[in-house]
Amino acid sequence: MTEKHETNVAADGGTVQESMAGGTSINEVDDSILSLRDVSVTFGMERGKSKVLNSVSLDIERQEILGVVGESGSGKSMFASALLDAVVKPGVVSGDITYRPGEGSETDLLNLSDEELRQLRWEEISMVFQGAMSSFNPTKDIRGHFEETLKDHDYDVESGMAHARELLSDLYLEPERVLNSYPHELSGGMSQRTLIALSLVLEPEVLVMDEPTAALDLLMQRSILALLEDLQTKYDLTIVFITHDLPLVAGLADRLAVMYAFEFVEIGPADELVQHSAHPYTRSLLRAVPNLDSPLDQMHPIEGASPDPVNVPTGCSYHPRCSLATDECRSTDPPLEEVEVDHRTACFHWQESRQEIPLIDDEETGEHDSDTPIRTAAPTDTVVEMQDVDVHFEQSSGFFGFLGESDIVHAVDDVNLDIHENDVVALVGESGCGKTTLGKAAIGIQRPTSGEVSYRGQDIWEAKDSPDSTDIPFDEIRQSLQIIHQDPGSSLNPNRTIESTLEMALKYGPHDMKKTSRRNRIHGMLSYVGMNPSEDYASRYPHQLSGGEKQRVALVRALMMNPDLILADESVSALDVSLRIEMMDLMLELQEQFDTSYVFISHNLSNARYFAGLADGKIGVMYLGELVEIGPAQAVIENPKHPYTEVLKWSTEDLNVEEELENPPIRGIDIPDPVDPPSGCRFHTRCPYAREACVTQSPSISEDENEHGAACFRDRGEDHEYWDSDPIQGVEASDD
Amino acid sequence: MKSTDTKTDGGTDIDHDLFDSGSDVELARSEQLSNAFTEYVYAPVMILWDDWRARIGSLIILGYLLMGTIGVILVEPATLHEGPRLEGVFEGTEFLLGTDILGRDLFAMIVHATPAMLQMIIAGGVFTTVVATIIGTVSGYKGGVLDRVLMTVSDIALTIPGLPLVIVIVVIFPPQHPVTVGILLSINAWAGLARALRSEVLAVREESYVEASRTMNVPTRVILTKDIIPNLMPYIMVNFVGAARGVIFGSVGLYFLGILPFTTLNWGVILNMAYTQGGSLYTLETIHWFLAPMITIILLSYGLILFAQGMDRVFNPRIRARHVQDDAGTEDTEDDGQIQTTVTEQI
Amino acid sequence: MNYFIKRIGQSVFTIFAVVSISFGLIRLLPGGPAAQLRAQLIQDSAGAADMERVNRLVELHTNIQPSKPVWEQYVDYMVAVFQGDLGESLWHNEPVSAILGEALPWTVFLMGTSLFISFVIGIALGAVMAYYEGSNFDVSATSGIILLNSIPYYIAAVVLLYFLGYQMQVFPTGGHYGSGVEPSLSIGFFRSVLYHSVLPISSMVITSFGGTAIAMRGNAISVLGNDYLRVARLRGLRDRRITMEYVARNALLPMYTGLMMSIGMVFGGSVILEEIFTYPGVGYYMFQAIGSRDYPVLMGSLILITTAIVIGILIADLTYGKIDPRVRGEDREVY
Repeated sequence: MTEKHETNVAADGGTVQESMAGGTSINEVDDSILSLRDVSVTFGMERGKSKVLNSVSLDIERQEILGVVGESGSGKSMFASALLDAVVKPGVVSGDITYRPGEGSETDLLNLSDEELRQLRWEEISMVFQGAMSSFNPTKDIRGHFEETLKDHDYDVESGMAHARELLSDLYLEPERVLNSYPHELSGGMSQRTLIALSLVLEPEVLVMDEPTAALDLLMQRSILALLEDLQTKYDLTIVFITHDLPLVAGLADRLAVMYAFEFVEIGPADELVQHSAHPYTRSLLRAVPNLDSPLDQMHPIEGASPDPVNVPTGCSYHPRCSLATDECRSTDPPLEEVEVDHRTACFHWQESRQEIPLIDDEETGEHDSDTPIRTAAPTDTVVEMQDVDVHFEQSSGFFGFLGESDIVHAVDDVNLDIHENDVVALVGESGCGKTTLGKAAIGIQRPTSGEVSYRGQDIWEAKDSPDSTDIPFDEIRQSLQIIHQDPGSSLNPNRTIESTLEMALKYGPHDMKKTSRRNRIHGMLSYVGMNPSEDYASRYPHQLSGGEKQRVALVRALMMNPDLILADESVSALDVSLRIEMMDLMLELQEQFDTSYVFISHNLSNARYFAGLADGKIGVMYLGELVEIGPAQAVIENPKHPYTEVLKWSTEDLNVEEELENPPIRGIDIPDPVDPPSGCRFHTRCPYAREACVTQSPSISEDENEHGAACFRDRGEDHEYWDSDPIQGVEASDD
Repeated sequence: MKSTDTKTDGGTDIDHDLFDSGSDVELARSEQLSNAFTEYVYAPVMILWDDWRARIGSLIILGYLLMGTIGVILVEPATLHEGPRLEGVFEGTEFLLGTDILGRDLFAMIVHATPAMLQMIIAGGVFTTVVATIIGTVSGYKGGVLDRVLMTVSDIALTIPGLPLVIVIVVIFPPQHPVTVGILLSINAWAGLARALRSEVLAVREESYVEASRTMNVPTRVILTKDIIPNLMPYIMVNFVGAARGVIFGSVGLYFLGILPFTTLNWGVILNMAYTQGGSLYTLETIHWFLAPMITIILLSYGLILFAQGMDRVFNPRIRARHVQDDAGTEDTEDDGQIQTTVTEQI
Repeated sequence: MNYFIKRIGQSVFTIFAVVSISFGLIRLLPGGPAAQLRAQLIQDSAGAADMERVNRLVELHTNIQPSKPVWEQYVDYMVAVFQGDLGESLWHNEPVSAILGEALPWTVFLMGTSLFISFVIGIALGAVMAYYEGSNFDVSATSGIILLNSIPYYIAAVVLLYFLGYQMQVFPTGGHYGSGVEPSLSIGFFRSVLYHSVLPISSMVITSFGGTAIAMRGNAISVLGNDYLRVARLRGLRDRRITMEYVARNALLPMYTGLMMSIGMVFGGSVILEEIFTYPGVGYYMFQAIGSRDYPVLMGSLILITTAIVIGILIADLTYGKIDPRVRGEDREVY
């Protein structure tokens, strides 16, 4: 096969068709923009030498988008740093990195003088990091950042700034406003886009992006990705996009490279790699990621954990987690070999792998017969009922606070929600939409500004305020409603052992237990959630546990209170992709044992779908403090009624590589200020279907026979005045 | 009254036996004691011993403690004309640090000034830390109007210059007892610590584990003592030492200038006598009279600073865990240096 | 704007509180200065006590009229103090404000210079220590600083006075300028003033720069670990710019808070220091007043020193907002 591989990088009907040098074998005439040969990064540590990048060889083609995928700790960030010869001391880079800016000329990246390297950086190769907020000098305004970059690279500042303004508007930012701001005045999404503009101001050839969107909401991530594709076309960029999130990059990238244990295990064209991946790790990774389309029972976690850099297994580093491992795998490291044109993998058993580990896409996915929940809940009592709940926060006050007027943040506005026994309600929305506040109000740790939250018919706050005249004492309510937090790092007291943390739950919980039986219970529970030997785990401090283990302890702690409802606040979001399903399965399994309900909060619609879908629960969608849609998980996903839910669905990537990234079905990327929410329907400023009626009137939820409803006039009958009013400015008139 | 049967949903009691560990995990009483000993005594001591600063610091402090307790019994109090006038250091075997102008043994005077000095230091340190901890934690945890009032008071106390205020008070009401002197000298020393503790409490209060404890209906008292204050211990220790140092400097300074009444023997009193009676400034002959109390003060202060730096490590669970169990699988080697800097910053 | 008003309001409130404390000490407490002064005056007039005259004298010296009700005394006192009337000295028979008004510039000069030099040395040393973090230099400098920090400033003062003042006679042992020099704008006068201030300033600087150095070292190290510094290097910015605009600027900003804290400490220390060097500043007069039980001067110097500190902190605080963009318009804690 000698034909050239064609990659379509065109967008919006453009016809930029780029033919690239085929193959990556070294024999052919090489016109890749960056070539890596046997590049390693080593750190000398107390516990021994650790190779955090292990003899990597790779060609990056001109004007391609290369997606590099790996779990945390797989060495992918080291790969990014190595590309700019920017590995932090005491790390040492070895090998060859050749950079070819144009035909013929070559630069050996690792042998540049300091001054040459300084000039190459950002002029030829620039880089964007995850934490954009911390990438800016906090005491310098954004204009200063652009100007100093131009000055120090001897660019003309005036024309450079004009270019900067253009870049900023390309990224849907107001140039002057952003340039006059200080870093702390920008929101996360804005500063990330500003950093991208800054990285392109010197018109580099190559843009390396290391988890550039990981800290952002999915919608913002997807929006940035769509913009990135436009920028790539407009400025003829080569982009190396590094992420842990395979589905995210699958739609964007031309080629994908999968990293495991500090090496590439599979490299190939994006569509080929997603649909016909050969390496068992890639295939497992594809199956482990929750998404919106695949049948729920076909998602499986990957067992085990990635190896430590000091102690990488001999042979194939994946063999301890691989179901196909043989003696050969244990002794010999498989080389990266071509399985098809341009598609290489490091596995002896790639043929078996394709047969033994079925991909979701390999099966019938048209009919979701298998999508039935593992159980169906019978109608039961309501545990928590929320009526017209408002939560408002006052911003700023102080000693002389009365001199200035304080702003009111509408965190939650007028929400009604019932949570039944053994129920699961997943709340979904962007950060700042009030979902956590609503969740906390539901479990009675956030007092609502107005409205009523009741537990089994007893108003929670009445029980607290006037304990004499209540049916259920507040102490009992308090214990029945528990929480699991988002951040495993702060969910456990760092100064106490696991045992003493858990003992607190039993001591102050509804149990009357002796010390011995408390110990037995703690050890029994730890064993049950797979933390064996429990004696060892019980005596550890939180910093000696992994993130997943900490979250399990938090789950155990909540369950020890025998609760009726647990608020799981983004409790799987901080975990590695491959661990999320495992954690959610465990939570659902224990739900059955303990007869509890969950309010599951997530910004990720596919996690919500997995969790609520399996338990036959509901999904609620929140926007700017309001519940805009609620209904059975499957109905909300398959048949969203609110335009915002459609947007969220769009933002939750599918594993579909054939479709081009389209522009989001939304106007405006940034969320309005919750201090001053838009009038009428709060979504009207971003809604693609907004009409004049939406500006003045605010819709409420009306549920259909399946308890599925949305707060949108489009969900109303034909005779609603919405249909007669004009589309608002900026919205194209549509007939539907 | 708490019972497990509070469920109102028809009593689906869970088969908790499933989650009870089958194996007997009960520890013998002696084993529990030995565990407690390891955690609360052995490990902290070992951590202190690991760090040269803490090692030297604790040895110095221990020396002074011995001097103030056993030393007072072993060393005879100084009497007039027990030796020659103004004997130099190491000139004779009897008076190691020499004698003053009245022929008194300087070493004995310094030793016998120690108990009052220690009382003063401890009184000042305890007063400062207790007041600051109460104000700081209450203010930070409760918030609201109380917080505003307490912080306004702290701000004022922080601005008023300590020494001149103390001087004015001391002149009007001369304190007699060392404990009173110690407390007076730290009259506004608590303010800075209270503010620092408050902001720390504000940060800790937002930690998820504190919210989890609240959600579990753990009493506020327990949350404060178990979840919040342990995080403040490094600050409290460093500031205890800072307050102690302030009391030493302040008391010696005021005794030295003769502002505090000479009711008890104090190193500052010896300094004062050397300065005013001995004419130490003009002649070399009396320099030892001056140097002896001076070095005594500097050494104690040096020991306290070193000790404070070491104490920070004791309260760090990461370091403590390493000593309690030699369990591999912990991967924290990089953070020690950073913690060190946070503490030294405050000195 | 709100921030400015708030800070100024807080400063005024602090001074107000100190004046009130001072009133309380003078008047309300039994055995306090007013009572003592009254007793003394009665005694002085040897039996033929003219109560009216005594009361008038008490008011003259302390601004307190014993015959009036307490709240009226309080109002009178506060009004008088805020008009600049601190009473009259018992010893000098001069208005307290005149005596201390002349002394204050010397104290401000001495302490301001000490503070400035101590910060310059501390910041420079701290930056170098951070740059060579972990080296032998860093370790030995840290130990040296801990040792210097263990020395009370007055001991340093006495030691310097002993060696350089009395033994070697390199520097004068007291006064603010030479006895033969007339205060004028001449170079000779300035030289004399500087010459006389060397020892007091040195003893303050030697014992205080270490704390600044350690703090600066910590700040610089934490700035060096920041992401934005790494990004600045990746952006190919020139080293000079990175050093000045990234490391130095961001490490120095928190030092400003330290400076504010030090103002109080240093001015408080002026009492002991000025006494040792017989330097006629506010602290010196305060000390003299202790010996002569000159309460008006004692109280006046407390109020004056506090006011100086409050104003110093206010200036520092308000200018901080100009330097650090993150503070502007926000609620920031005072320290």
